[in-house]
Amino acid sequence: MVVSGGDLDVMPNPTQLETFTAGVETAVDVPAIERQLRELWQLAAESEKDPSRRQITRACLFNLVVYCETDADRDHAAEVISALTSRHPCRAIVLLAKADRAQSELGASITAHCHLAGAGQKQVCCEQISIHASGESVEHLAAAVLPLLESDLPVVLWWNGVFLDRPERFRRLSAVSDHVLFDTSAWPEPEKRLNSLARVVVEAPHVRLADLSWTRLGLWRRLTAECFDEPHCREALAHIRRVEVTHGRGPGARLRALLCASWVASQLGWPPPDAAARIGLSTHEDNDTTSVGIVSVALKGDGVEVCVRKNHGERTASATVLVPNVCGLPRTRAFWPTDDASLLSQELDRAARHRVYERALTMAAALVPLQAGGARDSARRD
Amino acid sequence: MRDQSRAMHEPQTLSNPLGEELSTRRTPEPCVLVIFGATGDLTHRKLVPALYNLAHEGQLPSAFAVVGFARRPKTNDEFRAELKDGVEQHSRFSPINPAVWDAFAQGVVYYQAEFGDADGYVGLDKLLQQLDRERGTAGNRVFYLATAPTDFATIIEQLGAHHQNASARIIVEKPFGRSLATARQLNRVLAGVFNEPQVFRIDHYLGKETVQNILALRFANEIFEPLWNQKYVDHVQITVAESLGVEGRGGYYDQSGALRDMVQNHMMQLLSLTAMEPPTGLGAEDIRDEKVKLLRAIRPIAPARVQQISLRGQYARGSIAGKIVVGYRDEPKVAPDSRTETFVALRLLIDNWRWAGVPFYLRHGKRLPKQAAEIAIQFKAPPAVLFAAESTAPLQANVLVLRIQPDEGIAIRMNAKVPGTALNIQPVKMDFRYGGSFGARSPDAYERLLHDVIVGDSTLFTRDDEVECSWSVMDALLEGWQSSPAPFAYESGTWGPAEADALIEKDGRQWRRP
Repeated sequence: MVVSGGDLDVMPNPTQLETFTAGVETAVDVPAIERQLRELWQLAAESEKDPSRRQITRACLFNLVVYCETDADRDHAAEVISALTSRHPCRAIVLLAKADRAQSELGASITAHCHLAGAGQKQVCCEQISIHASGESVEHLAAAVLPLLESDLPVVLWWNGVFLDRPERFRRLSAVSDHVLFDTSAWPEPEKRLNSLARVVVEAPHVRLADLSWTRLGLWRRLTAECFDEPHCREALAHIRRVEVTHGRGPGARLRALLCASWVASQLGWPPPDAAARIGLSTHEDNDTTSVGIVSVALKGDGVEVCVRKNHGERTASATVLVPNVCGLPRTRAFWPTDDASLLSQELDRAARHRVYERALTMAAALVPLQAGGARDSARRD
Repeated sequence: MRDQSRAMHEPQTLSNPLGEELSTRRTPEPCVLVIFGATGDLTHRKLVPALYNLAHEGQLPSAFAVVGFARRPKTNDEFRAELKDGVEQHSRFSPINPAVWDAFAQGVVYYQAEFGDADGYVGLDKLLQQLDRERGTAGNRVFYLATAPTDFATIIEQLGAHHQNASARIIVEKPFGRSLATARQLNRVLAGVFNEPQVFRIDHYLGKETVQNILALRFANEIFEPLWNQKYVDHVQITVAESLGVEGRGGYYDQSGALRDMVQNHMMQLLSLTAMEPPTGLGAEDIRDEKVKLLRAIRPIAPARVQQISLRGQYARGSIAGKIVVGYRDEPKVAPDSRTETFVALRLLIDNWRWAGVPFYLRHGKRLPKQAAEIAIQFKAPPAVLFAAESTAPLQANVLVLRIQPDEGIAIRMNAKVPGTALNIQPVKMDFRYGGSFGARSPDAYERLLHDVIVGDSTLFTRDDEVECSWSVMDALLEGWQSSPAPFAYESGTWGPAEADALIEKDGRQWRRP
């Protein structure tokens, strides 16, 4: 194994501090990462006495470990971290694992993401440590992460890719994590993996797993649920007999439609065989430039119809309610941003386990074989 | 009256299975918000931007409308356009999201009438019924008195006379009276028309995140509460400093003064939250009961003691941030011989088991060097025996500072050894800043408070007995000041009159420099 050398071998100087806080990556020796960071922050503290220098303070509320297997994912992760840290200061540890390389190598670099806390205030900076491993060294990544975790702070693991395909690496990294984030919408053929995923998610004893596909459903779930919030509307829920979700062809759209329908079924207590008969998923040739994957969600029953529909060309959805004795007026809500930084931010704001997601996922996993014939799925074109 | 009216709907008991995990906040029910004094600054700068923010966050009820009630003639379109300008300038979600604004603005209506005109309330009733039909607001009303206090009684009595009190809530802006007697009178007028649970006396200080965080700091951390008593705390300093002067409010302020404008409400809230006992729950009555118990435990102030425990000041010409500013008596609409105080320093004692013998120093003033609001818990000094021989300076006591604004945060001062061969002890500060740790902008205080009214949560609002307890302390001071000399003058841009230093120094203590 080769451990690559670093650019920072001696005490850092003010120029290196400027480079570090400007977001430029500086190579360091893996064993010396912690020491180099300490010396840079020490230099920043001493610079406070110099009025000509920017005033900097370091903030960290949690550890964010990001697992990637491609350069593109690693670059994207760095952009997301830069956006995320203004709202969620953390120590980010970005791991790049290239197991298919012959040479076993382990290298590291450090940088910082800095934001002004407010007009005239100090810059608030968060560290990013990047570790790239190739060949056999990939299996040492977890060991490299452990000493870098800030003590007494939670560990959030954001896994880019299918963690089910890397069981040992995932086991080692999730074992030290409190919260694991992943995105099934980016998985190839996610429906085939729902059973395995459901087992991992439900059985994970100490770690909260959060699927960004579920996060993207937030507004759909909220608008649908709100239709039944007021006490005099709630009894209409008992009359719902069918849920129909129309979705586009974008990445993960069908999976999210299935999750959404499964959510209604599991929350209303439908057994899977009944749910399979009551759920309808249909594909819509979606030419909407503001597409969010799902086009509409409709709950139907005796004299009751609730429909939540994305407004074409707008980042909004509207709910209409047809229930005896009127249950409120049509309402429109704007979609929350669905870029990765915003989705991660929503999840980081949440402290509790996703029990509702776990039930919806379990239902979805049960429905996949029941719907395998495709009888419930149809395609249509406007 | 007490049993007749119903405060909108009772809290919901049936659960919505589809709403599980979606929100921890209570679901607001349909309602109409009627703002009296809707053309005023408060509506444009605070209330409607806060409502828009709630709409943006999806926190408003599905069926919601706003009626602006005011005297000036205006069309709905003109009113909406003015409100939109206010939202553009003051919303935390600027620029405006057109979809959210359009949906919100459709429910905004302007209504012109005089506050004392009975026919105006007949017309208002018709309008509200029309909105119930057209927008599904279900007969629920929230009335907001954003008018001059002199109009409060007229509006409340007209609402009662026109049966607008059932299924309604009423929000009253400060000041809640200008003495104990007038506060009681206002409470009587309110109680003649509304039940106390229907009344929401708004003190926007309680809507600030950092004020709410006082409870979290005290009761969600095991390390602080055991020290939060007379055994470990030497004294407490509560400071609300403003660098601004009266800023065009000279007419109002000269009738009010610092005690009525700031101390009676905001500072007494800070005092009661800092010193109260742990509540039995986080319900509105649980917390308000404890605040009232604390206020009742403040040692009564005999007229003869007023000058020993309090001091008034009035700002004179000086400079703020390098700019010359006029003295208070030269401000527009202020009497040239005014005796109104712009600075107050107080020493209060709380006669209960927890705080016996611990002075609470309160200080507020205008035209002080900087804007700062903070609560400083000054702990007792450690015994010096161990380090006395080695260290040259006496050990400094620990201080826990809760910064309310600006730069909200919590700091603790502790002693540490200076690196080196000598045993030098030096105070160091650990500083937690909200801005650095939680990047999100906090909701505006009015946003939180308006939502709380709509869902019927009165935890952050002042109860009638709380107002009266606070006024009973203020009345004693106001009475004592009538026979005392004029307020001491202090130069603008300083920390108040030199005599204020004497107030605390005679106890062997010093004011903090925030």
